[in-house]
Amino acid sequence: MPRRKSTSRRTQRPKDVLHRTGAADTFRCVGCRLHVPVVAPGTAHRNHCPSCLTSRHVDGRVPGDRASPCGGRMVAVSLSVRADGEWLLVHECTGCGALKLNRIAGDDNALALVRIAVRPLADPGLGRRAMLSL
Amino acid sequence: MSDTFTCVRCGLVVITLTPDDVRRNHCPSCLSSLHTLDHAADGASDCRGRMAPLSIAVRRDGSWALVHRCTRCRELDLHPTAADDNQLILMRLAVRPLAEPPFPLDVFGTL
Repeated sequence: MPRRKSTSRRTQRPKDVLHRTGAADTFRCVGCRLHVPVVAPGTAHRNHCPSCLTSRHVDGRVPGDRASPCGGRMVAVSLSVRADGEWLLVHECTGCGALKLNRIAGDDNALALVRIAVRPLADPGLGRRAMLSL
Repeated sequence: MSDTFTCVRCGLVVITLTPDDVRRNHCPSCLSSLHTLDHAADGASDCRGRMAPLSIAVRRDGSWALVHRCTRCRELDLHPTAADDNQLILMRLAVRPLAEPPFPLDVFGTL
């Protein structure tokens, strides 16, 4: 649910793909081996583990097309904010370096999210240098 | 290969080499870039759309990298920041998630 009214949005693509476990309603996290249900509060397109935010590189250009042969682990590298105030996770594939965007889900680990959000500012050298030069 | 390029957004003529002698791909003033290299296609891209800065990622060595998104085809790309990049835009991108948290941040003070 967007937090602010956004002007023009394309309608969401339906997600009806099978996961590697064979079951349609659960997948296993490649980072922490947690069994994750596909249904999540706040999103219909969960692609990452709610506990460690790790994802898997299976899709090509279109979400859900399962066109990528890579299959590598994708780690969350940064957070971006959409114009309507929603957080988006940027995942980077550890195998091939591809980047993907995904909205956060309602049950994502808040501590892990905030840790990624403050990471640019946590480094004393760069953050302070940027702040001082303003 | 020319040693200057013109920014597609603000029209600034930029010297390609940064003060640290690394080739840059985005304008130091508005941080916009041109979509000429593509990750998925592994090489040159013929999109040539404008790539807008999206967020800041931190590399494993602690340096900042800029996530760009093409305004035309929505492709994402990651590039290291240069020393003379616009610090105001960089800082604005870095604090943007914390300015609009989806949950109250007060709880983290008690952790």
